[in-house]
Amino acid sequence: MERRDFLKVTVLTGATAALSGCEKPAQQLVRFVPEQDLVPGVAVWKPSLCTLCSAGCGLTVRVMEGEAEVVRKGQLGLIKMGLAKKLEGNPDHPINQGKLCARGQAGLQLTYHPDRVRGPLKRSGPRGSGNFQQITWEEALGEVVSKLQELRSQKQAGALRFLIGRLRGQRRELIEEFLKTVGSSPAMVFDPLDEPVLRQANLLSFGRATMPSFDLAHANYVISFGADFLGTWNSPVAQSIAYGEMRQGHPGSRGKLVQVEQRMSQTGANADEWVPVRPGMDGVLALGLAHVILKEKLRPTRENGETLIAGWQQGLPDYSPEAVEKTAGVAAKRIERLAREMAAHTPAVAMIGGAPLAQTNGLFSALAVNALNALLGSVGTPGGMFFTPRPPHAEHEWGGFAAASDFAGQFLAGKLDDTHVLLLYNANPVFATPAAWKVRDSLERIPFIVSFGSFVDETSAFADLILPDHSPLESWLDDIPESGTTQAVVSLAAPAMLPLHDTRAMPDVLLQIAHQLGGDAVKSLPWQSFDEMLQASISSLRTAETSPPVDPEKFWAKVQEQGGWWSEKMRSDAKQTIASVAFGGSASKQPAFKQPAFRQHGKPESALPQFDGAEHEFPFHFHPYVSQAFLDGALAHLPWMQEMPDALSTVMWGTWIEINPKTAAKLGIEQGDLVEVRSQHGKLQAPALVSPGIAPDVIAMPFGQGHENFSRYASGRGANPMTILAPLQVAETGSLAWAATRVDISKVGRGKLALFAGGLRERPSELEHR
Amino acid sequence: MAHRWGMVVDLDRCTGCEACVIACRAENNIATVGEEQARKGRAMHWIRVERYYEGEFPDVRVKFQPVLCQQCDAAPCEPVCPTYASYHTAEGLNAQIYNRCIGTRYCANACPYSVRFFNFFNPAWEKPLHLQLNPDVSVRQVGVMEKCTFCVQRIKAAEIHAKAESRELKDGEPAPACVQSCAPKALVFGDLNDPESEVSRLSRSRRGSKLLEELGTQPKVTYLQRDSWNDENL
Repeated sequence: MERRDFLKVTVLTGATAALSGCEKPAQQLVRFVPEQDLVPGVAVWKPSLCTLCSAGCGLTVRVMEGEAEVVRKGQLGLIKMGLAKKLEGNPDHPINQGKLCARGQAGLQLTYHPDRVRGPLKRSGPRGSGNFQQITWEEALGEVVSKLQELRSQKQAGALRFLIGRLRGQRRELIEEFLKTVGSSPAMVFDPLDEPVLRQANLLSFGRATMPSFDLAHANYVISFGADFLGTWNSPVAQSIAYGEMRQGHPGSRGKLVQVEQRMSQTGANADEWVPVRPGMDGVLALGLAHVILKEKLRPTRENGETLIAGWQQGLPDYSPEAVEKTAGVAAKRIERLAREMAAHTPAVAMIGGAPLAQTNGLFSALAVNALNALLGSVGTPGGMFFTPRPPHAEHEWGGFAAASDFAGQFLAGKLDDTHVLLLYNANPVFATPAAWKVRDSLERIPFIVSFGSFVDETSAFADLILPDHSPLESWLDDIPESGTTQAVVSLAAPAMLPLHDTRAMPDVLLQIAHQLGGDAVKSLPWQSFDEMLQASISSLRTAETSPPVDPEKFWAKVQEQGGWWSEKMRSDAKQTIASVAFGGSASKQPAFKQPAFRQHGKPESALPQFDGAEHEFPFHFHPYVSQAFLDGALAHLPWMQEMPDALSTVMWGTWIEINPKTAAKLGIEQGDLVEVRSQHGKLQAPALVSPGIAPDVIAMPFGQGHENFSRYASGRGANPMTILAPLQVAETGSLAWAATRVDISKVGRGKLALFAGGLRERPSELEHR
Repeated sequence: MAHRWGMVVDLDRCTGCEACVIACRAENNIATVGEEQARKGRAMHWIRVERYYEGEFPDVRVKFQPVLCQQCDAAPCEPVCPTYASYHTAEGLNAQIYNRCIGTRYCANACPYSVRFFNFFNPAWEKPLHLQLNPDVSVRQVGVMEKCTFCVQRIKAAEIHAKAESRELKDGEPAPACVQSCAPKALVFGDLNDPESEVSRLSRSRRGSKLLEELGTQPKVTYLQRDSWNDENL
């Protein structure tokens, strides 16, 4: 027996069963020989990566010795091991520069969550029931391999599909390579937080289907159409750091923030000017601003002798401030003032995100905002928008438009119906798609589903097998952040701690399956474990900046130590680098604004949004939004997030609908009343939160709660706005127009709200004593 | 010279993101209480983000204001404690000695900032969530008041680290968890006895004021008011 094998050094009993434990050997805990050398009480900080949103922040993990119950070689026992105690931002990481948002910090609870799947499971009840029984890894893998061999022998390799959430870097490469070698089509991506409409607009406007970055630190004027860039959108930590600089980083000059939306977001709450606009009229408003700039010749309209924006030579006559006032609901005088302000205070930059892109005319609005940026001279310039450069070795723009809208497109085209074996990783479409899509029914029809999930959620409850992944802190991780910095970044991290449970890393399991399948799979995936693949891929960066290249082992060690690779020469001065470096150093390489894009796709007939439901029957626009605590709902199982008061509502542990005070008074609805929200596609109930920051004809509600089956902390809590959404699509994309549903509301009784505001000491709740 | 720890909160930088709230919870082993207790007003957040709405639609403004223990020099919580559990440290912190506390809650009543929290029951972490606990901070029991310490354990760790390297503490070196996490740098921490420290410099800002300073509590937290945008060019 090797030293690293477990040894029965002492027999311990569980703390609660000190005596009875001795009589029941099954409850006795073995003490393992420690696998690491740690000094008690001394913290070690190890790099890791945050995987909770698309920003891709770098972490530093405080690891200290502690005693944990773990599983080693199938045996439960106690071990002294390094335990992650706190997550902070990696100070060297170019995206988040030592900072970390609330959600990222709460990611610690993913590892220690009491409802984590602790070992492989096989379904024991009906599909969707969430009943599973334990099996061994050998049994589980054997079952998967035999299913795949069956498909291969029947020449039905195409009937294998892999449904993943947002995933970049080598884990994505591995999945795609695996699918290719077994003869299946590329992975389907399901990420409700992605912005496929903006990607397509950027592809049309700039030739890149990429999320944009913004040099907010040097902007004098920022106008945001619905983008909650300080809260949940794009790269919130990087954007918040830059926002602080814009506010107070330059003595004597302070940038202005204008936020355009119908419901005051966290970002809107920080704006110097808040501009309520009618739903879906963001693009029209942007063109109204452009009209004034063109008419008053506030900005040049030609560049290098060429027209800057095709179709704008006549000065956008359809979008006079008076015309825009009628449709967008923003006063003509205000439009004129805003246009003059932004033209006079360059660098001025516009951005669009969230609800405006989830209207049926989302692509039109995004193209209008892109063109406005071109008119403001803010494309690829300091204080403007730019694209984060890609590292030299990254061939694929994973997360690009085609892949990102995949699930919607493929699902609606009935591709899931041809699927015999579905592999699932970090995607929960049963929760996060409209009930009208009937994803549940499609999953029911798939003969064999395997999930790599760490938790049983609404989608993995349909799985026949669960092969639980390590938690992120227990895993080898890599990522290629898409936006938020002027530097090319490849994040990489070794496990910050050893696994607690009988889990296996998803990439390692895929490699093992590939090797058991044999044949081509072994040739294209020769690695024994995922870290070998990571090392092989990142070593190509050795030559990127230093010549002669550094020693491979030293390079590998350095990359692990700092938490990734980033181009060092691009750090020093953002102001210079944005223009000169972000686009490759020469003007010819800049993703020049493609001037015909707007003329081709921005036709007046695409300008206006369509809504589901007749106005007389459904008088309110339904405005769901990404939750500060839970994002799309994937974080609702974390107790720290549940008890975090929402910044604007201060609600904890629940959900709510936001309603304008005048509307509430008219309908006889008071704070805390239980309200039914009804669309053509369903209804839900939630307590009312009366809020001045919302238009009278809009009802807002955060995504994230309303889980049926997602750990003890989230299940059966609140309501899910997805369930009542209309299955409308954004024109020219397959994307869900999630902000285009009309609803009616009515009071049905008293509800319950846990608010943090309005008194902190123990108090009888005014809601309960009324 | 002894340190005198203080903080500046720049309300023009604060975005209401709540990162400080979770940083504090993680660093200081603050228990979650669950929905029922939270509805009774028993949730514990040593730092919270207050938000104030002004005006009516469409002319609405919101102000965020992080509120934590103001570490008053004339702290109302201290003289009311019959057991000297609330006391003033040599470095000016309003400390709480948990094993002296008998739970009269006089201090919480006296505090005008509502930043003291009472443990109505023994905290519980459903296994293995207990493994997240920070071993440098004691877990509070039922019947005990708890509050912000300016992360005294992080201050001490920085002092020990500096001493091991035979040097003085650098400005900005000890950072409470909330300050460490703050992306827009709204929170600044440091030594008010050092007139050159960033916290001292910012405390003298024309935008500065103290929370409820008219009560005579002499807080060591300075709030810098939100700036407004003036258009001098139009």
